[in-house]
Amino acid sequence: MVTVKIDGKEVQVAPNTLILDAAKEAGVSIPTLCHDSRLNPFGACRVCLVEQVGNPKLQAACTTPVTDKMEIVTRSEKLSRVRKTAIELLLINHPLDCPVCDKGGECTLQDLTYEVGVTKVRFDAKPNDTPVDHTNPFIERDIDRCVLCGRCVRVCDEVVNIQAISFLNRGTDTIIGTSFEQPWNCEYCGQCISVCPVGSLNNRIYLFKNRPWNLDRVKSVCGLCSCGCTVDIDYEGNEVFRMKESPEEGINHGYMCAKGRFGFEFINSIKRESEAVVKAGGESKKVSFNEAVDVAVEKLKKVKDTAGADAIAVVVSPRLTNEEAFLAGKLAKDVLGTSNLFSTETNEVNPEATLEEVENSDCVTVLNIDVTESNPILGLAVRHAARTGTAPLAVFYPGYTALRRVSKKFVTGTPDEVRAAMESYAAAVAGASNEYSEWAAKLTNAERPVVIFDPYNKADVKLAQDIKKACAKVKVVPAKAKNNSVGIVDMGFGAKCPTEFAQGLESGKFKAVVVLGENLSARSVWTKSASKAAGLELLLVTDPFMSETAAMANVYIPVSTFAEKSGSFTNLEGHVQSIAKAVDKGVNTDACVVSAIAKGLGIKLPAEVSAVRGMIEKEVPLYSGINWDGGVVSYPYVFAGEVAATDGKAKGKGRFFLYPASLRLHSGSFTRWSPDLAKVYGEPMLELSVEDAKELGISAKDRVKVKGEGFEGEFLVEIEKKVSKGCIALPEDFVATAGIFCNGKSLRADIVK
Amino acid sequence: MKNVFETIFFTEILQGLGITLSHMFKKPVTYRYPFEATPIQDRFRGIQYIKTHADGRTKCVGCYLCQKVCPSECIHIETDCGPNGERLIRKYELDLSRCIYCGYCEEVCPVDAIHMGWEWNTVASDRSGYVINMKTLSQNYKDNVEGNWKNKHLQKKLVEGVQQ
Repeated sequence: MVTVKIDGKEVQVAPNTLILDAAKEAGVSIPTLCHDSRLNPFGACRVCLVEQVGNPKLQAACTTPVTDKMEIVTRSEKLSRVRKTAIELLLINHPLDCPVCDKGGECTLQDLTYEVGVTKVRFDAKPNDTPVDHTNPFIERDIDRCVLCGRCVRVCDEVVNIQAISFLNRGTDTIIGTSFEQPWNCEYCGQCISVCPVGSLNNRIYLFKNRPWNLDRVKSVCGLCSCGCTVDIDYEGNEVFRMKESPEEGINHGYMCAKGRFGFEFINSIKRESEAVVKAGGESKKVSFNEAVDVAVEKLKKVKDTAGADAIAVVVSPRLTNEEAFLAGKLAKDVLGTSNLFSTETNEVNPEATLEEVENSDCVTVLNIDVTESNPILGLAVRHAARTGTAPLAVFYPGYTALRRVSKKFVTGTPDEVRAAMESYAAAVAGASNEYSEWAAKLTNAERPVVIFDPYNKADVKLAQDIKKACAKVKVVPAKAKNNSVGIVDMGFGAKCPTEFAQGLESGKFKAVVVLGENLSARSVWTKSASKAAGLELLLVTDPFMSETAAMANVYIPVSTFAEKSGSFTNLEGHVQSIAKAVDKGVNTDACVVSAIAKGLGIKLPAEVSAVRGMIEKEVPLYSGINWDGGVVSYPYVFAGEVAATDGKAKGKGRFFLYPASLRLHSGSFTRWSPDLAKVYGEPMLELSVEDAKELGISAKDRVKVKGEGFEGEFLVEIEKKVSKGCIALPEDFVATAGIFCNGKSLRADIVK
Repeated sequence: MKNVFETIFFTEILQGLGITLSHMFKKPVTYRYPFEATPIQDRFRGIQYIKTHADGRTKCVGCYLCQKVCPSECIHIETDCGPNGERLIRKYELDLSRCIYCGYCEEVCPVDAIHMGWEWNTVASDRSGYVINMKTLSQNYKDNVEGNWKNKHLQKKLVEGVQQ
């Protein structure tokens, strides 16, 4: 520890601490512009200059480490003159269009200008006047306002590792741009927007919609994938204006993905339903909430009396909160007396490693999943481990993913080749000697190894279990898909296999089905039997939108999205986090629906979060005494028993291997109602390799037919460099593609022009 | 003795009549409202107008500063992004029944768009007429520039003040 004196206050800090951090410790604030504690020191803006007693030169606080007995002065006549000049120099070319700039009101440069008291620039002000760049669908770029702090360049390189932007030219001509001034080609994660201290990079979804001082803010958790990012929801009245990062907070450290940052618009969608619909005798009628519940209750009673409780099934979606899922379970078990609780999730795999453990791992293996697309924040953690740390990263995936840049070993090829490679890798971990022995040794010799896999692919689960068995210190991350995929399983919706529900529908065993938020037609396990649900005595569907399943329902009740309710989600690491209500769109929550139905059936169930949490703590042992905002569930097991060996080989016949692609812009349920995401990716697209496209004479945006054993479909073609020759990929969670992947995760197909 | 004299000859009444008589030859100080309008000073703060560019586009950029500064919360603005990425004012409403004519909006406007005018007659038969929008505010400016004063007392010289 070294002792430094900052503005007369003495503090003890670790050696090599930056002056800025030492000052924070001493409770002294130093103005900064280009500094970001998550990024490497840069020292571009010179705003944080401080005086060191005995040194004639000024030091940049954000880049200079402290030394013992150092004495720092942060406020002096000289320093305020220097800071003022530094800001004045920045303002020479900075256009003073604060009234129309989206950053106005929350701009670091604006704040600094006030702080140092610049009212007039002494130099010849020459504001830049270059046209604003609108080529990117999500990011507006106005290079005139740029102060060249380099935060966007650094975050894109150090954190996201896409390196889409860089400094171009030299000296006064320097701008931030892409190589050869090409359009931005990136992951659209928007990290650059979040770190920009001025209005140079703006969110186009929020562009000009409001000003920051009008917005109210609530801290919540994103409900669009299983990462569970802490986000700020900015709203005015009952409209959500933006969803942005909570700076440096949460398991995501203030990073977000495209879906979270730009996909929130569905909350305000005009396509949302506001009235319940009851169908009787082929005619649908808009009714009030209570009337719809009454109809549902009556039908439930009738089915229970005539066909027994076993003819009733309750299906929940992983978008529900823990509290709602628990209530739905209560409704099924205690009120209706049925054990038919279904969801797309199963309790075969439980979370183990946390994101922090992934970040700090010293050997990471990714098995057959495109994490940067399916779970972008988990992807950032993997990148962090592989890049900032020195963890050797091995990735197995049919086709190159964004992890290729940081991986030490990338095994690609057709899905069958990748499967064979993964099998030999797992065998090598278990002790066999083959070409992967070297890589297996890296895993077994590591202290904190991590294996990431796709929990929805049985063959992958088997491999992960084999690896875990051979090397017990390996921590696995089952990359679950939806925001509460883990939580609903904890609440009892994972005990039964999803296929059992499909069989029940097919055989006519179920007469009444309560579907809370799920879209049966878009889930590959259920899509084939979904049409059977239309003829049921009762199909009660709750959904914010009129989904395909909701359209079939004879009782439909519109419900709220995650921004309109309180509760909690459990993310892919088993982290329970509270969500907060931001807006009210005048519709009920799923909890209200369940509670109302229970009341109609004569049993009182509370709908308030606190009361339900009390019940959960009593009845769910995993959650007894849990901290509802930040507690981590400790699971008794990772794999439930021995996973049966499955033949992961591609099924069927055909020239191409077809596998499910992950999409960073869509999960196929809520996000497809976001107009801005739909503009970029509106319908499922067939990813085709460059060589195959050339061979077949297919160009991008062509429509081709994909035909395999038992399925057929027509899709737009997207030619992708990352796809391997002989492979094609389609996203899974669309109605048009769910019918394909119900045949298996790895298929063979032909392309018919 | 003097009192007796005043009492006998009603001198005070004559004095009073004298003052009245003198006023008959002076200019009147009152105005016969509503037949006649009261004069308006240059620095009077009346109904707002919003300046337009020569081609008729509004000068207002929709920065929300007037909405924020307004102590009686009478301004309501909605903006959005236009088709070419420009700032678009979807709605600009000013509720004259709430306005206290403090002039803060004029003071805060960074682009010299909103100004306090000289018109003051807001009388309407129902409340909806008090809410004026961008169209009316721009029309007010046009009227002022062209000298189409509703208040006939406004002098032509004020027009010059508007055009500055």
